[in-house]
Amino acid sequence: MRSLSRRELFAQMLGAPLALSAATTPTAPVAIARCNSYGEDQAALLGSMFDSLGGLEKLVRNKTVTIKLNLTGSPALKFQGRPLGVTHYTHPSQVGALAHLLGRAGARRIRFVESCWGTPGPMEEYMLDSGWNVRAFENAAPKVEFENTNALGSSKKYARFKVPGGGLVFPSYDLNMAYQETDVFVSLAKLKDHATCGVTLAMKNIFGITPASIYGDDAGKDEPNENPTKGRVETCHFGKRQPSSSAAPELKPASSRESGYRMPRITAELVAARPIHISIIDGIETMAGGEGPWIRGVRLVKPGLMIVGTNPVTTDTVGTACMGYDPRAQGAGAFAKCDNTLLLAEQLGAGTADLKRIEVRGVPIGDAMFRFSL
Amino acid sequence: MLLALLLLTNFADWIPARWTSSDPSSLELVRATPINCLLLEKEHWSPEFLDKAAGLGIATLGVVRPGDALPKAKLTGLMLEGDFSGGGEPAAGELPVIRVGPRAHMDFAGGAPVVGTHQGVWPGINVTEEDAAKAAPTGGPWIDTNAGFLRFARAATKAEIWIANRPPPGTAFPTARYLQAIGDAAIVGARWVVSLDEDFSRRLLAREEKALAGWETIAAHLRFYQNQKPWRGFTPRGQLALVQDSASGGLFSGGILDMIAVKHTPVRAVPSRLLSDEFMEGARMAVSVDPAALTEEQKETLGRFTRSGNTLLSAPAQWKFPPVTADKITLSKEEIETIDAIWKEINSMTGRRNLGARLFNVSTILSSLVGAPAGTPVLLHLVNYSDYPVESITAHVLGKYTKAMLHEPGRAPRSMPVYVVEEGTGTGIDIDKVSTIATLVLE
Repeated sequence: MRSLSRRELFAQMLGAPLALSAATTPTAPVAIARCNSYGEDQAALLGSMFDSLGGLEKLVRNKTVTIKLNLTGSPALKFQGRPLGVTHYTHPSQVGALAHLLGRAGARRIRFVESCWGTPGPMEEYMLDSGWNVRAFENAAPKVEFENTNALGSSKKYARFKVPGGGLVFPSYDLNMAYQETDVFVSLAKLKDHATCGVTLAMKNIFGITPASIYGDDAGKDEPNENPTKGRVETCHFGKRQPSSSAAPELKPASSRESGYRMPRITAELVAARPIHISIIDGIETMAGGEGPWIRGVRLVKPGLMIVGTNPVTTDTVGTACMGYDPRAQGAGAFAKCDNTLLLAEQLGAGTADLKRIEVRGVPIGDAMFRFSL
Repeated sequence: MLLALLLLTNFADWIPARWTSSDPSSLELVRATPINCLLLEKEHWSPEFLDKAAGLGIATLGVVRPGDALPKAKLTGLMLEGDFSGGGEPAAGELPVIRVGPRAHMDFAGGAPVVGTHQGVWPGINVTEEDAAKAAPTGGPWIDTNAGFLRFARAATKAEIWIANRPPPGTAFPTARYLQAIGDAAIVGARWVVSLDEDFSRRLLAREEKALAGWETIAAHLRFYQNQKPWRGFTPRGQLALVQDSASGGLFSGGILDMIAVKHTPVRAVPSRLLSDEFMEGARMAVSVDPAALTEEQKETLGRFTRSGNTLLSAPAQWKFPPVTADKITLSKEEIETIDAIWKEINSMTGRRNLGARLFNVSTILSSLVGAPAGTPVLLHLVNYSDYPVESITAHVLGKYTKAMLHEPGRAPRSMPVYVVEEGTGTGIDIDKVSTIATLVLE
């Protein structure tokens, strides 16, 4: 895999020619901070990063805030017996810290969500299965809730989210109502490589909002299966089947079935359909070489970084650069085996992937860079 | 002979191990442990060794296989290992005999003080090459265990149950794998016959430092269960009963009992032969694996069970468990698929209900919920089958308890805070860490 050298990074920031025009897409500043341990005060760290971006209160006061965690894969799958939060899951210390900060900033309702792998059961139990102290989260702020969005959950119907511009793979997505009943949507993600999307950052985390009841391998043919037990590989990664016909089918069933083609597009259009307002990327401890222990060759790394932004494309672009990759690479670097999710999201107007248009606050990228590729 | 008779009265206290030396000085290694019964191959029946063992109060059982001649030796008894159904059984005379044969030949109703088998899977996490690398997230690992079979065996007889499987040939296991084997049997009230791999055994007899440390750890784990003798009289507390028999899956590893256990649902085995109101007391749900094989009386027992408001799931009449044979203890992939239908029904019936205890963050752990005849204490035995400690376990145990103590080998018991589970499903306990085995004692 080809990595971004510091010289190339600075060349980009100074305005080297770009393959795609990014001049008209939105931009927003991104904060980078150093943090070497989850034992450090995560609330203080996140609080100062939000302050550098203009403050959390103006974003969340009196709002319903929905936070998508990254709890990818079954909690039973641990890497070398390590706690999930230091390998491929969101770290629980950040969940508690974020709940505390949101509560302090005046959020009306704080709702943590995830489409929990292979189950429609309560998210609280999934978190207990992850070794998390759910009672501590509940006590971190008033009105903290949890919703497993892998099926209907506590709602009676799904919400339809149309992809602006008509979509790349699907024209719309039927999602749990939690994604509609929110004023502010947060992606609390992990700094990781990804086998089929290049990088797993704030945007790829959003793939997990799709309910397996509709997009899962055991989804109902016509109606959602409200008791899903499998992942979403056949429908989403490889397009071997269509989602339940209650949802919109693929636009082009004859298009490529390669996951490196499909998954970046699905990720980008999900971000366009369900915009992310706050992106938080945990790169304190994580894994490199893939997004979870099921990927051969993954290894533990400690980049010691936190990245926060209010635009998911700019935040992921900075995150990608911090991983030592060229965010605009095509067929190289992190995107050697897949299309570039950042550029696809940029084309959908979600934000710019052009580093020279992104203001970085805090630690400069060059100082923060931790090379994920060997 | 006197010693033999004295020891005979204490079968329940025998802690057996295979021993691969006839050097009397090697008994010093045994003396430092709770092991008090050695299984010896014929080449180790030396008079000096047997005399010294007798002097130390250590029972010696000569291992005899079909067709073996039986030379005179001052043994405490014999262990007949293997399939003697075709003959070849030696005349043991007055020597007590323990039979350790194929599972299919275990005689649970014969009145023997010890019923054993040499057949077992090696307990541990089963990671297949197929599971090791996937393009997308997958489910959790499967645990190879004898616990399901041993639950059934314990329920089927009042005899002591020994499982005398050896490490797979050519293996050199780390100590943790032996601790898992000890716990795998002990949590359901059975005994694994300690059997070291060739490399460990050689290093131990040579007094290599690392092997001695491993041996001490094994001893501490044996001692952990032995020091709590009353626990052995505790009975299963799960509200789910699985009614089956030797012919309907009770003798298999990886069968329905193990499938339920891997889901962390407390389950009690109810051998059809012993099915009674007393056996079903405390159960709220039952699964009858082979209803066609039940007698009218047994059917009436289950009828009373359902008329009392409890739930019964019966396998389809035409459905049959794969047949049991002397050389088979696990199910093939195809056979597992045949039990998938009933498994889905069981899964659907039990759902998220608390049928005694619900455990979280325990994908590499198996448990056993038992209780004292008087009601309390209740024990939650835990065995971790991974090579790494498991941290942050949560247990929701049905019932109200005010005190929870975590017992672990080599550590003083620790008090665990208890809290009421909001859903009203009992008492919550958060356990910080389990290395290999632990027991939560609730009062």
